[in-house]
Amino acid sequence: MSFDVIGRSVKRNDVVEKITGSARYAGDVRLPGMLYARTLRSNMAHATIRSIDTSRALALPGVKAVLTHENVPRVLHYGSPHPRSASLAQDQYILDNKVRYWGECVAAVAAISEEIAEEALELIDVVYDPLPVMATIEAALAAGATPIHDVGPGGNLVAPPIKVRRGDIERGFAEADLVIEGEYEGGRPTPAYMEPNVCVCHWEHTGEHNSAASDRSGDKLTVHISTQTAFMVRGILAEVLGLPLNQVRVIVDHMGGGFGAKQDLFQSEFLCALLSRETRRPVMLEYTRKETFLGGRSRHPVKIWLKQGFKRDGTLTARQARVVFNSGAYGSHGPGVTAVGTTAMTSLYRCENIELEGMCVYTNAPIAGAFRGYGVVQTYYALDIQMDEAAEQLGIDPALLKRKNAVRAGDLAPSGHPLVGHGLEDCIDRGMQEVNWPKTRTHQRSSDGARRFGWGIGCEMHGSSAYPGIKEQGNAIVKLNEDGTAVLLTGTAGLGTGAHTALAQIVAEELGIPFERVSVMHGDTDTVPWDIGAFASHTTYMGGRAAQMAATEVKRQLLERAAEKLEVAAEELELRKGIISVRGTDIHLSVAEALGVARGQPAAHLVGSATYTPTKSYSFGAHFAEVAVDVETGHIEVLQVTPVHEVGRVIHPLAAAGQVEGGIQQGIGHTLSENYEIDPVTGKSLNAGFVDYKMPLSMDMPPIHTILLETAPDPGGPWGAKGIGEDPIIAIGPAIANAVHNAIGVRFRHYPITPEDVLNALRAQKTEVA
Amino acid sequence: MKRAITPIINGDPVELSVAPYRTLLDALRHEAGLTGTKKGCDVGDCGACTVLVDGKPLNACLMLAIEADGCAIQTVEGLQDASGALHALQEAFLHHGAAQCGFCTPGILMMAKALLDETPDPSDDEIRFALAGNICRCTGYTKIIEAVSAAAHALRNAGGAR
Ligand code: FES
Ligand code: FES
Repeated sequence: MSFDVIGRSVKRNDVVEKITGSARYAGDVRLPGMLYARTLRSNMAHATIRSIDTSRALALPGVKAVLTHENVPRVLHYGSPHPRSASLAQDQYILDNKVRYWGECVAAVAAISEEIAEEALELIDVVYDPLPVMATIEAALAAGATPIHDVGPGGNLVAPPIKVRRGDIERGFAEADLVIEGEYEGGRPTPAYMEPNVCVCHWEHTGEHNSAASDRSGDKLTVHISTQTAFMVRGILAEVLGLPLNQVRVIVDHMGGGFGAKQDLFQSEFLCALLSRETRRPVMLEYTRKETFLGGRSRHPVKIWLKQGFKRDGTLTARQARVVFNSGAYGSHGPGVTAVGTTAMTSLYRCENIELEGMCVYTNAPIAGAFRGYGVVQTYYALDIQMDEAAEQLGIDPALLKRKNAVRAGDLAPSGHPLVGHGLEDCIDRGMQEVNWPKTRTHQRSSDGARRFGWGIGCEMHGSSAYPGIKEQGNAIVKLNEDGTAVLLTGTAGLGTGAHTALAQIVAEELGIPFERVSVMHGDTDTVPWDIGAFASHTTYMGGRAAQMAATEVKRQLLERAAEKLEVAAEELELRKGIISVRGTDIHLSVAEALGVARGQPAAHLVGSATYTPTKSYSFGAHFAEVAVDVETGHIEVLQVTPVHEVGRVIHPLAAAGQVEGGIQQGIGHTLSENYEIDPVTGKSLNAGFVDYKMPLSMDMPPIHTILLETAPDPGGPWGAKGIGEDPIIAIGPAIANAVHNAIGVRFRHYPITPEDVLNALRAQKTEVA
Repeated sequence: MKRAITPIINGDPVELSVAPYRTLLDALRHEAGLTGTKKGCDVGDCGACTVLVDGKPLNACLMLAIEADGCAIQTVEGLQDASGALHALQEAFLHHGAAQCGFCTPGILMMAKALLDETPDPSDDEIRFALAGNICRCTGYTKIIEAVSAAAHALRNAGGAR
């Protein structure tokens, strides 16, 4: 197949605004009369609110409204506004008379300036009745532990445990020559997107001034917000605030990253809307960086027990695991993360006898939510490291052991349907070739002073779309103008990945017109068709396929019109590079000519729309990483990474590589340094800021040699394209941990692996040898 | 209580009325209507608010607006030339895929501009060092380093930085 537009790194359609400073983010919105809101946060991790007195705050000149649990609607709602599904928990109120984590919002103030709003917060008097704090999984699961919620199955579980059984686990272990078991643990990294959470709400009352305050028939709520899921935000705002959907308009133009977490609601959206309703003025509520940590979302901390059986030749015979995710104070995506993370362990390395259990636990800790890699980062860290352990004990090269057991065409995917192609094997093969494995691993650079060197491999697979947890839907409308230019209307958000460029490329390719002739309209729920949101690595796969289908429909109409003009059958026509020609002849006309005025017929404006309901496709990856470990300081440096990803079809190579590089950055972060910490006793947050929450920056990032493969296209995606957004953050963790073992012989089964951990382990190693 | 100040912003004297505690960042974003400069932390930790003050890169969130009275301030909105042509750095960011969400981009562009003004032929290590205080959470920096290097090259070929 040859292509004219896809597969090329065309000039992205969202970048000129960004590099000139004219891109409008939600925090850049300025409306006449706009007020500024700030939130008051609890200094207790678990308590009931005995009283909350706002009279002094209200008396402060410039303060226009104060909201507490006493004057906001009390509606139990989901923390994330997905269509009702088992992936989510319904356990939140806008404000409750109880706080469940340190830093939970208890009141909000709107004032004429941020400074006055801030001052007013100090004038709100809250009296708490403390409850026992259960900040860890162990404390929350202990017999007799105080329930954090009165919804859910009880016992501080967010949802009933997930259980997966395949084959015969006893027989599997009985057949094994080697059984390995171990405990693995994951910390609390956060997405730390650069744009703090922000929204601007304007609740207009266009009805009669003398109508009752409860008459909302003429109201219109407009929300400018940084979210990945504009339509779902609209849905939940409408539901909780009691408005019909056509009276809520959500606008997202540019957004400064989300990485999954901006699928949730952060209390601020409701509060901002209600403050605007109350004051009859637009209100901006912008979280500080500290609040973005406190009230934001992290990855679920996890504890995993994993046991596997192997034959002497490396064949896997059994896999048993128990996974416990820490959801923090609210359920958010906990059930979904638990399901996806746990069932992911049915796959990656084929095994017939499987028994898995996944649980998700409420604790008085910050809320964990959706974050790039959604449960799979955690479980594949354990699985992939244990494969490395097995390889060592079996005396087999780890890459070859992984390749031998790699899932392949026809194997059941975690979603329950057969996999397409041999993506994982292809990634391992290509990476081995690229870095000259196994030689490169067995012949390490010799140590240099205190530095020891090592190589490791980590593997992953990840699904595009949240099927079967959520039955998703992508929609697109393509309008072909009479001059041959086109507009794509899409509801997918532009997180910064370049997705709108990819979608425009797909439309241009399908319509046979140059990329520059396609523009994209997005980000306004009153204008563009409904979309479930930008997450689950599905925008190109699902939104792209919907765009392609809508373009196909337009193309059909275009060719029909051209056929009439040329007096031939539409089937005889082909369309490429803006020219419609009769196959096998030199008769042709341009797209603009086909659409233009002719014989008394007005020019045509063609519209096509499409709805696409995907199942799921899987992308694959293998990361080969080299590290240096300083045995005196304990510092681990990643020296280079060769990530190989199989993505079916690359639409925009530069943007796809950018996803890989950024994912690796965040993956290096959670593996080596990033951990949002709380005091296990009080639940108090300890490092809610960029100085103490350590991320890999320009000086820490190694060279990355990205390789993209197109060997296993999926029939569900446009020309076989699959997702790439989440994959790169998954394999890098185990690749690093395995490389560290290769370098110093110490096996780490947790993240982050800090310098202190390295020094302690080396000390223990020495004692053992002595 | 407000005070009138007149910084020269992107070449034009701009009269602003600001409260004494107002940061330069808030004054730019709210009073001057220049929202290109971003607020990622407001406490000097992320570099998103980097602007040039009398040619030197500074975190606008750490400077009071009243201190900027009479200073020459350059923001991302002032990088293009009078004809609107993109600066070599902007061109390079566009072509090398160095901006994803774009929220760090204005600050990084200004920091890179300061680097190239001083060091027209920086090594990759010098670029990484110069950007050490600018957090980008999307790109892994690979393409940012490539872009700055390419812009340096383009500027040298064109006969020096603007
Ligand atoms: S906003 Fe100024 S350094 Fe972060
Ligand atoms: S491009 Fe998103 S933070 Fe740098």
